[in-house]
Amino acid sequence: MTGQLPILTIAPLLFGAFAVTAGRFLFRRANYAVASLALAASFAASVLLAIQILTHGPAIYFVGGWPPPVGISYVADPLSALMLAFVSGAALCTFLASKSEIETSYPLKNSAFYALFLLAVAGHMGIVVTGDAFNLYVLIEVAALSGYAILAQGRERAMLSSLNYLFVGSLGASLYLLGVGYLYIMTGSLNMADLSAIIGRLTPDGLSGSTALAAAWGVILAGLFVKMGLFPFHSWLPAAYSFSAAPAAALVAPLTTKVMAYVLVRMILSVFTPDAAWGVPAINTLILVLATAAILYGSFCALAQRSLRKMLCFILLSEVGYMVGGAFLGNRAGLTGTIYHIFADLLMTLCLFLVAANIERGTGGRFSDMGGLFRRMPVTAAALVLGAASMIGVPPFCGFFSKWYLLSGAIAAESYAFAGALVISSLVNAVLFFRIFEIGFFGAPPDHTGQADQAEPAGESGHGHPGPIPFFRDEMPPARLAPLCLVAASLVVMGLLTGQIVRLVVDPILPPGLG
Amino acid sequence: MHELLAEFGNKFHYYGYFAIMMIGLYAMIAKTNLLKKCIGLGIFQTAIMLFYVSIGAKEGAGIPILDPAVGTADPAAYANPLPHVLMLTAIVVSVATLGVALALVQNIHRDHGTLEEDEILQRLRGK
Repeated sequence: MTGQLPILTIAPLLFGAFAVTAGRFLFRRANYAVASLALAASFAASVLLAIQILTHGPAIYFVGGWPPPVGISYVADPLSALMLAFVSGAALCTFLASKSEIETSYPLKNSAFYALFLLAVAGHMGIVVTGDAFNLYVLIEVAALSGYAILAQGRERAMLSSLNYLFVGSLGASLYLLGVGYLYIMTGSLNMADLSAIIGRLTPDGLSGSTALAAAWGVILAGLFVKMGLFPFHSWLPAAYSFSAAPAAALVAPLTTKVMAYVLVRMILSVFTPDAAWGVPAINTLILVLATAAILYGSFCALAQRSLRKMLCFILLSEVGYMVGGAFLGNRAGLTGTIYHIFADLLMTLCLFLVAANIERGTGGRFSDMGGLFRRMPVTAAALVLGAASMIGVPPFCGFFSKWYLLSGAIAAESYAFAGALVISSLVNAVLFFRIFEIGFFGAPPDHTGQADQAEPAGESGHGHPGPIPFFRDEMPPARLAPLCLVAASLVVMGLLTGQIVRLVVDPILPPGLG
Repeated sequence: MHELLAEFGNKFHYYGYFAIMMIGLYAMIAKTNLLKKCIGLGIFQTAIMLFYVSIGAKEGAGIPILDPAVGTADPAAYANPLPHVLMLTAIVVSVATLGVALALVQNIHRDHGTLEEDEILQRLRGK
């Protein structure tokens, strides 16, 4: 039984998606329960797997019983096992928190939504656990295609934004596929461990020894950067995530960029070795410049936004810059920061997107609607404060520790522009969130909640509202708040467990000689 | 000149796939009609399939079915089947991608009555 755990993390989702689709005409009412059960089973298997891996060491599962390099292997090492637990946990929280939202956002189509949701989660988890470079491509497309479909529902622009995301996303995945093709020409293998061994034999002194392998690495990087929305390839991201219905954004936004950053780390560590991946200084410098630009661009565009979700999308862009930059600083601290930040940012983004979903439903998502937020929705506002503190990087939240590792990595690598961008982005985040706090504390609510058109500019419209606003006037039901509180609390817990996570998960993954 | 031609002759399939890929990319970037962008995406993905299939080809090699007369000793006698198998999967993926894209295009056309991207953006801005 325990030997089957790697596949058991994904199988319930696939069967659940099938059951929900098959049952949409027969057992409509049971569909939500079936989907939740599938997600819960997958989460339970992931947690069991993580415990087993952390106590007994890595495990490799052969899909269909075919050993690699012929068959596809699922590799569960500390990093992928913890990532599986985070992804499935995030999906379960989103799903439980969004029940009422799904029912109002996708009327008549909620069974289809459940099936696509499960498929998207299965795709993301498959990307994390697979040990086969081509299988990774297929799973990227499984995750992305279900993502396009659920992101297309929403406001009027959602359809067009989702189509643009589809064009750019397919382009990115195709570039990755092309890179895998070059790898296959040079090595004749697709299994990651096998690839790594052969690449090491072919180019003992770094990738510069083989043009084809260097080209493969370049094309794979380009594909991954497109998929995660690094600065010059970012234009699809804010539109796709801000016009869609809230549950889809709350699922896809925390998962896709982070899972793609995970693939980047996997490629550096498990396919190319760090020495080879960082072997071309010109590429490292270029990527660091892009990452710095992404951080600054995301931060300053976020300042210009007037709605919460759009602002979060631009913060997400700068977080992508953190993860990519850390991975190319070329030292242990930087890579540790990237890996830790993948987990931390997953939780922070999840927390803030769930908050945004609640606020959009309760008061309206524009800043001008959010006057009196702390009285009207105290629990949601408290979660917003926790998420914001972590984004800004206040100790002991997890956001602080990833910034700490990234900063020390940047200083060790003497990459002061990147370090400066990290600091500036933290300051800008503080400005961004304190502006919302100010509106939430001192701003008066508009007369008609959700009707932003009639709202006066917040902060100076205190007249004409004699009585204080009642507490909890627009707060969401407990079913939506409980998962959110759990996620918000986990930000602190993860921050306090930083030492254990780095010791148990990050250190065994990094090669011992890495400085 | 002669070496250049020989170089081109030996690697013509690489130049071919690259040219087709760039045609697809051009269509995706430069065209404003959403349907033409879908076609561009199709061309782009097909170029990569062509690339994979071309690397499995081998002069004088037979179909990859075990022939007792040849045996397994000489892999050069068989064409490499793996790239073709991979591309069967990639074709399925690209069909699914195109299907989702066309469903979205159809919905956009129903909402806006046009497939020209700038006209749609103008309509969205006008509201």
